[in-house]
Amino acid sequence: MSAEPTFFTTPRTSRSVTFTNLPPRSQRAERWRGFERFMFGSLLNLAGFVIVLMFLFLAIFGAALSPHDPYAPPDHYVEQKLQPPSLDHPLGTDELGRDLLSRIMTGARVSLQAAVVVLALAVSLGTLIGAVSGYLGGLADEVLMRVTDMFLAFPAFILAIAIAASLGRDLRYTTIALSTVFWPWYARLVRGQVLSIKEREYVEAARCLGMSAGRLMFRHILPNAIAVVIIQITIDIGYVILSTSALSFIGLGAQPPTPEWGTMLASARPYFRDAWWYMTFPGVALTLTVFAFNALGDGLRDTLDPRSRQR
Amino acid sequence: MIVRLIVRRLFFFVFVLFGLSLITFTLAHVVPADPARMIAGPRASRNAVEKVRRDYGLDKPLPLQYVNYIKGIVQLDFGRSLVSRRPVREDLGRYLPATVELGLYAFVIATAVGIPLGVASAVKRGTAIDHAARFVSISGLALPVFWLALLAQFLFFGTLGWLPDGQRLPEAVDPPRSITSLYTIDALLTGNWTVLKLAVEHLILPVSVLAYGSLAVVTRMVRGCMLEVLNQDYIRTARAKGLSSSAVLTRHALKNALLPTVTSLGLQIGLLLSGAFLVEIVFSWPGIGRYAVRAIESVDYNAIMATTLIVAVIFALINLVVDIIYVFLDPRISYE
Repeated sequence: MSAEPTFFTTPRTSRSVTFTNLPPRSQRAERWRGFERFMFGSLLNLAGFVIVLMFLFLAIFGAALSPHDPYAPPDHYVEQKLQPPSLDHPLGTDELGRDLLSRIMTGARVSLQAAVVVLALAVSLGTLIGAVSGYLGGLADEVLMRVTDMFLAFPAFILAIAIAASLGRDLRYTTIALSTVFWPWYARLVRGQVLSIKEREYVEAARCLGMSAGRLMFRHILPNAIAVVIIQITIDIGYVILSTSALSFIGLGAQPPTPEWGTMLASARPYFRDAWWYMTFPGVALTLTVFAFNALGDGLRDTLDPRSRQR
Repeated sequence: MIVRLIVRRLFFFVFVLFGLSLITFTLAHVVPADPARMIAGPRASRNAVEKVRRDYGLDKPLPLQYVNYIKGIVQLDFGRSLVSRRPVREDLGRYLPATVELGLYAFVIATAVGIPLGVASAVKRGTAIDHAARFVSISGLALPVFWLALLAQFLFFGTLGWLPDGQRLPEAVDPPRSITSLYTIDALLTGNWTVLKLAVEHLILPVSVLAYGSLAVVTRMVRGCMLEVLNQDYIRTARAKGLSSSAVLTRHALKNALLPTVTSLGLQIGLLLSGAFLVEIVFSWPGIGRYAVRAIESVDYNAIMATTLIVAVIFALINLVVDIIYVFLDPRISYE
């Protein structure tokens, strides 16, 4: 068994050593125990996990299950606009008489799609640059890291605004802008991992066997760096969703009638005195989602890296 | 040794400025399909676009354009705003103080509340104050600042009617004589108590909303560092040799726990500047954030790029100062 922490296992130090005659626990049972502790050891982890599941469910089935049309206003929308929550519209309606519940449910997919695209781009680019930088070292490392520093010198959100503004007002451009903001963090993270892993003995051994740099990287170094990256992704999903909504709120990003939560909050702004439900529920959905990914990410980190537990 | 470190930081700062200018230049001149069209505006005639292209030197090769761009920036010439028809520099001068006032108070509140809260939370682990601190740090990280602003406006202005809904002062009230351009300080200096009271009332909501996110980060950071330091051997040694717990706390633990916090304070400014963009819209706060967002709405290109650059330079400058302070605070750093 490798000394690296694998998913959902806890350190084995507390295992009793007196029962040496008992058969060793299977790896699967170990994992299950770790998972159990992760889930039920902390209320936050459990809450995060459950909400993330709900969010994913909505992102996949929300559009299909929504009780009303999330895009088109109903025929006689004047009578139905800005209705408070009722049986037919559990979360009320917006200024065009559209059902808020349907729009929020459909919005989960918009947010998830944006987050997936942003992180896929950011993680690929960041991993590539970080891995090359950490593995080669020397001048290449110096140049790549200084470029990374240049991007980190901007306040992230402001840089995203500038990029999105220069590309145009569209959700696609916003995802490009956000991946430009997020990749430097992954480059740093992966570089640090690669730097430490490439000195390990098993990498040394593989190199002595005459393995090529590429094979070394993909077979031995990157797989061992992946746990840290996955934790970071889990935490970042929340922030990407938050940033997408924030950019949509100021008019970059998703445009009406897309049921994006930030866009919905922006259109709810003029009605904040008359229609409390309109500005409340999209915000609740957004906050819960961000909270859930944060909690899940923190929980994963605590489980996988006990040293950081107190942070 | 310290001088060399500071020179190195300064050198890095210059490098960062170069990088920032390169990025904004790329965004302004390379990324858009037709930069002249962007500057002239979507409704400009073809002749007007061609005139812009010549006037701005956009028909010249890129390296030459970059040199001209830098020349302009050094003279603080960012071109004219399409919307206000004034030079962007004048607009920024007009709107920047409002953002500075907002950010400054938010920063002071986030640190002044966050540090004690984080320390108390670490020292009295598991008590009510610890739970309160953890609630603050979890909710502050998850709550979108623009939604919090909407909620605060709904509650304290819409429902309770306790506080004004936005702006720096009521329409009918003249701002105090300008000394620092920060209304509260100017009102204080000129002894204008009515304006001071009004200015403070208008600040409460936006400042609290803006401060909340940073407060969460500071609290979390201080709590984490403090817990780590309290587990160190030298703390046990200090306790074992009979020092009072307050002496251990202030002389041994706090000093070391606050060092990483100082570094993060520079980053807090970035968070506050970003948050200001969103808070200013909700509270109609006449700062550069709202200016930039209006610029985005009307595709006012010069204004967007100038605001971005100014905000980034402020951010870099503050981080330079933090870095230099850090050199003096942490003697270990010079052995690097």
